[in-house]
Amino acid sequence: MIEQIQAKAKELLENEQVSCVIGYETATDGGTRPAFIYDPDDVDRLVWNQQCHYNLVNYLHDKKKPPKRGADIPSVAVIVKPCDSRTINLLVGESQIKRENIHVIGLTCTGMLENGEIQTRCQHCTIRSPLVYDTLIGEPPTEEISDDFEDVAEIEAMAPEERLNFWLSEFDRCIRCYACRQACPGCYCTVCEFDRDDSLWIGMQNEMPEKYFFHTFRAMHLAGRCVECNACELACPMDIPLSLLNRKLTKEMEELFDHRGGMTTEPTPFVTLMKDGEISLI
Amino acid sequence: MNEHNHHSMRPYLGKLAGVKELGTDIRLFQIELMDAVGKEAFANYKPGQFGFVSAFGEGEAPFGITSIPAQDGLLEFAIHRHPHGKTTNGLHNLSVGDPIGVRGPLGNNFPMDDIKGKDIIVLGGGIGGAPLRPVIKTVMENRDDYGSMTILWAARNPGLLIFTDEYEEWRNTPQTELHLTVDNKPPDWDEGDEGLITTLLEKLNPSPENAITITCGPPIMIHFVSLTLKKLGFTLDQMLVTLEGRMHCGIGKCGRCNLGDIFVCTDGPVFYHSEVAELLESFL
Amino acid sequence: MIFITHHNLLAWLGKLKEDRTLIAPQDIGKGHIRYRPVSDIEEITFDYTQPEMSAKEFLFPQTDRLMRIEKRGDEVTLHDYLLEKEQIIFGLRPCDAHGFLAFDALFLEQDPPDVYYARRREMTTLVGISCPQMWENCFCTSVGGAPDDPSHLDVLLTAVGDGYAVKAATSKGKALLASAETQEVTDLTLPEIPKNETVPILPAEDWPALFNDQYWARLGERCLSCKLCTYVCPTCRCFDLRDEEVLSGTGIVIHDRMRVWDACTAPNYRTIAGGHNSRATKGQRIRNRYYCKFHYYPKDFGPLGCVGCGRCIEACPVNIDIKEMLAQVADLHEKVEA
Repeated sequence: MIEQIQAKAKELLENEQVSCVIGYETATDGGTRPAFIYDPDDVDRLVWNQQCHYNLVNYLHDKKKPPKRGADIPSVAVIVKPCDSRTINLLVGESQIKRENIHVIGLTCTGMLENGEIQTRCQHCTIRSPLVYDTLIGEPPTEEISDDFEDVAEIEAMAPEERLNFWLSEFDRCIRCYACRQACPGCYCTVCEFDRDDSLWIGMQNEMPEKYFFHTFRAMHLAGRCVECNACELACPMDIPLSLLNRKLTKEMEELFDHRGGMTTEPTPFVTLMKDGEISLI
Repeated sequence: MNEHNHHSMRPYLGKLAGVKELGTDIRLFQIELMDAVGKEAFANYKPGQFGFVSAFGEGEAPFGITSIPAQDGLLEFAIHRHPHGKTTNGLHNLSVGDPIGVRGPLGNNFPMDDIKGKDIIVLGGGIGGAPLRPVIKTVMENRDDYGSMTILWAARNPGLLIFTDEYEEWRNTPQTELHLTVDNKPPDWDEGDEGLITTLLEKLNPSPENAITITCGPPIMIHFVSLTLKKLGFTLDQMLVTLEGRMHCGIGKCGRCNLGDIFVCTDGPVFYHSEVAELLESFL
Repeated sequence: MIFITHHNLLAWLGKLKEDRTLIAPQDIGKGHIRYRPVSDIEEITFDYTQPEMSAKEFLFPQTDRLMRIEKRGDEVTLHDYLLEKEQIIFGLRPCDAHGFLAFDALFLEQDPPDVYYARRREMTTLVGISCPQMWENCFCTSVGGAPDDPSHLDVLLTAVGDGYAVKAATSKGKALLASAETQEVTDLTLPEIPKNETVPILPAEDWPALFNDQYWARLGERCLSCKLCTYVCPTCRCFDLRDEEVLSGTGIVIHDRMRVWDACTAPNYRTIAGGHNSRATKGQRIRNRYYCKFHYYPKDFGPLGCVGCGRCIEACPVNIDIKEMLAQVADLHEKVEA
């Protein structure tokens, strides 16, 4: 697949269809890291393997405005895995990016690794092939997978107090570095509610009440929007199981609203839309 | 309060002695310092210096001192209430008689001695006029020490022009002119021009000969004023500016206000534009 | 050499813990090692490379309550929170102790001294353990440090045999050791610690020439603008300051004026009232961070703002690697000079 990826990137840059291709390159620790290719001669930096876990669509937030006054919004190409392609739907649906400015190079995916094992969220991924693309590379897998949310079963089985203690002990390690929020393509508010100078919702302390509030409410803000890309948990240096929290809410949203983030461009129905008759439920 | 506990992060206790409306969401705070250590610290502050004003329970923020020491012992700050500024809202919610804190005086100052004998051109944009008022007052109080004074006062609209009740006094000072301009001129306002301060500056076309300019306002205004002044023949070392860097401690520790290897709070906030141009990092 | 058995070391720590706060490396869950106050000597782990956070939080807490503000009607009283109990940081890696040099240079030696930091510094004794090796991301030897450097410690222990060689590096350290059961030995030699390849550190005065190079914009592109690198760093010290409520009751309201860690990598770090941000791009912010470490700090305060601990490399979610940057900057400098 890598030859096709590099060839496509080269073609897009040479034809000036895009000014930049956002992809993956080798990192200094042997893994991968995001790469921004501007020169067609640099496309051989691009790699594709099971360590390419970053959600590169997050970087479209940096490319959604003109680079200077009077200039056009740049056209960019971005390499997406199936989960990342859901982010395209999410951001188009929330009017953050213009679809026509982006060339989506969609890749089929057999799952990303973490510590040598297929990541939990990949084990439940039902879509293996990008939902949105301009170019599709790779053979769509034929394997049928269903998501039964068994990864959430363990915490669901906990009694409320046990569950609370579980989360508090995980949040204890949090240092409020905001890597999770910054890595998440769904978190793009220019001033985060939990990072306000006026401490309107939470204070600036890094103590348990603030950390607890930050994580639970960030998860609430992602309810029905999370595309399960796992960027948050992978960015967290403290192994806080953030994806588990988001997965729980993903399950709730499916059950309550039959909605899952980024499957279409339809925005989350949670706290955004009221459909006919719903007002009577209040 | 135990006066011997003073250190640079600890505010002096004061009382809000007076409040005056200066404009839309802009208020003048007149503070009386309550203890001897505070009074002594602020006995001889100079134009251009700033202080951190505390709304106890909300926070503190840096503001240019807008008074001069000669003024009946009251320390004055002109403060604009920012929509979600914890401190500025906290300050605007105070009433006369409430406790208030001040740290300072901090920073360097306008070199009022070095510029004696020169023609002074003062350019204030919006709330940026606040730290320039001490310059104007110093010149007024020592009129013979300085050449002519030309004040250009600008704001987005008339409601943001500050110290309007002093304009007549400024104008009545010998060899002093005041010119006003607003971005958006309402039909019933005829006290000045419509347009940016740079337009007004070009129109007035002051002579650079033996002149010094002192500018304070948003970064973009400072920049465009300097370009216009250059066009009019001024050199960068004739231009004094006062900058901001979102200071949090004011004493060179928190790291926030650096412009390259200098701190706005301790190496500034007053600079000659020639110094600013030499800095590694741009303030823009 | 002076030697202490592992058993006697634990006994000594147990004694010290009686009237001081003992801070030492611990497993705080899922294999995460951090320096933390110890309630039981058993909690101390000796099986670590370096704790994932530096020890700066014990002289410069992440949430540092500076003063208590009590309001009773019109009356306001202020009360400084100054550390009252002596503390020992044990198991400190030499790089983490080296980090305090940068803090001292700014917080103590630059006028005015910070009273909160000064009190903590005075009340803290540093007992380090040499690193048995340099790990993958370590480059302390490139920035004036070493895995067995006693320079910034009060006591340095080096594992050998069934205990440790003990070096009292200061009189404070010597005094602390008075209650330890040590012995003189002559038949042990300390193992040679293999060193990593050095990383080129461009001299401070050569950095300005590269300030406007587009290298920084390119490097910053993948930066997430989180605060990780800054928070794990033993020398980073930027802080935010605000009053937060503690409690309110009848006739009294109490707030704490606190300072909390902040990072120049954060998007709105330099947004001023009025909305202007002079570091609006990631490239500008990341450039500031590295210039602060390798140019501003040495120029203004003396020491480098980097001790070569390599934590930022491990922490960065997108592999912004300071060693790679330093090598690239050295290359860039050669090209610019040519």
